[in-house]
Amino acid sequence: MNKRRDFLRLLTGATAGLSAAGWSSLAAADDDRRTRTTTAATVPTVSGVRGRVVVIGGGMAGATVAKYLRLWGGTGVDVTLVERASAYTSSIMSNLVLNGQRTIQSLQFGYGTLANRYGIRMVQGEVVSIDPVNRKVFLADGTPLSYDRLVVAPGIDFDVVPGLETAEAQAKVPHAWKAGPQTTALRNMITAMPAQGGVFVMSIPAAPYRCPPGPYERACVVADWLNRNKPGSQVIVLDANPKIIAEPHAFEEGFALHGVHYYPGVTVNSVNPTAMQVNTSNGTIGANVINIIPNHKAGKVITDNSLADAGGRWTSVDVRSYEAVVAPNIHVIGDASKTTQPKAGHIANQEAKVCADAIVRLFAGKSPDPSPVTNSSCYSPITATTASWLTNIFAYDPASGTMVSTTGGNVEAAGRSQDNYEDMIKWFNTLMADSFA
Amino acid sequence: MKKVVLFTLVVLGSTATALAQTTAYTPPAGRLLASNCFQCHGTNGNGGFERLAGMSASEIVSEMREMRQATKPEMMDVHAKGYTDAQIQLIANYFSTLPR
Repeated sequence: MNKRRDFLRLLTGATAGLSAAGWSSLAAADDDRRTRTTTAATVPTVSGVRGRVVVIGGGMAGATVAKYLRLWGGTGVDVTLVERASAYTSSIMSNLVLNGQRTIQSLQFGYGTLANRYGIRMVQGEVVSIDPVNRKVFLADGTPLSYDRLVVAPGIDFDVVPGLETAEAQAKVPHAWKAGPQTTALRNMITAMPAQGGVFVMSIPAAPYRCPPGPYERACVVADWLNRNKPGSQVIVLDANPKIIAEPHAFEEGFALHGVHYYPGVTVNSVNPTAMQVNTSNGTIGANVINIIPNHKAGKVITDNSLADAGGRWTSVDVRSYEAVVAPNIHVIGDASKTTQPKAGHIANQEAKVCADAIVRLFAGKSPDPSPVTNSSCYSPITATTASWLTNIFAYDPASGTMVSTTGGNVEAAGRSQDNYEDMIKWFNTLMADSFA
Repeated sequence: MKKVVLFTLVVLGSTATALAQTTAYTPPAGRLLASNCFQCHGTNGNGGFERLAGMSASEIVSEMREMRQATKPEMMDVHAKGYTDAQIQLIANYFSTLPR
């Protein structure tokens, strides 16, 4: 474990001087150790499948598509994964940083296994432009990368909240909705709240947003911690949606258990980070800690490159291949695409597999699977020892051209339990191994 | 069936695109469907909640059928209901072909 911390410290200290190969191999040793139960898969030789793929973004979707392109497409599929960060920080489980049960470091996953076990070429950098005619992407330093098919998986970006335009203001009022330094900062703000009678205000963005149960889970976990450590504190939830949009049973019970004050149908107009006040559609409220989660849109590379055909926010895709409706040979997976499926890591992993399978078939001159199936599954901690779960299964419906639930919509756990909490840990570890190892 | 094209002959230089060639490639039946299980049962069914790789197809099918009858459904019970009989058979057949 110390080795990982040293590695991460090394990266944050002096990333510039390390070559991709250098940081890949360092991370690999650690990832192999963490995912030892997984039998090493090898990249096969697949006759008749050949092509070049560039993947933008090394999150749940991007890492998984890169891995499965090699696993299923074989050595003839050349895969380059472009990612800004030196390691992935999982947003899944990151609410447990807020109650001190996890550290951000424990949620970090390197790219070494993808590079070393699957032969994926890792490029640390940022794609700033896409040339769809000549099938090239350009990095910030001007470096071009050529592709036959491009997979764009940048995740989400946020609308700017009035009053929170500057980095300084955002540091005072973090969203912590992309796990990382803001998550740790929010944890520190919570622990610095007054011993009694402090106020924590958080907001939930209008759907669609990443991880539908996540904000409700956050309210439960924070309130649970405050009740045990700073009695008399208040947790106030301002939900832009008209009701709890995921796991209503679990969260209604959780809110009652923890005494969370829940206000549906309330939107945030602006925030004053100096006075620590939130101006809402229901009036102004002051707080010791303010956690505004802004409305979402697809990552910048989508909106900057004419791919946000759906309301200027998301990319419409053919869900049999995730090829963008407006851009042939460009596939958009994960949170950045507009589909009937939730925006979340587990299903992003499955969208990536559907996309990888489709690209391999297309490289072989065949058509994508005409009837793909995906599933969404997740666990939500309600207390420090119990969790609930949520699941849904989607099948392609040719009549509507969309993924339609086969289970009659979301199905949630009968109630929170310790067994679910233990299953949550196993689910997380296995999901991360399926995506990064 | 069209003629198999050898890509080694087609690909000339690094800039050549190798698209839309008809080949003999056929993805294994059930693989993409079965990959829905990998998030919780490991890549290729090799770990996680229950090791599915190399299990007999009939055992997987009968377990899934049993789960459909659960009165207080756990997550897997919901999944058992979310796939058709034909899909479950394909998934089971695929895992049975993988090394244990």
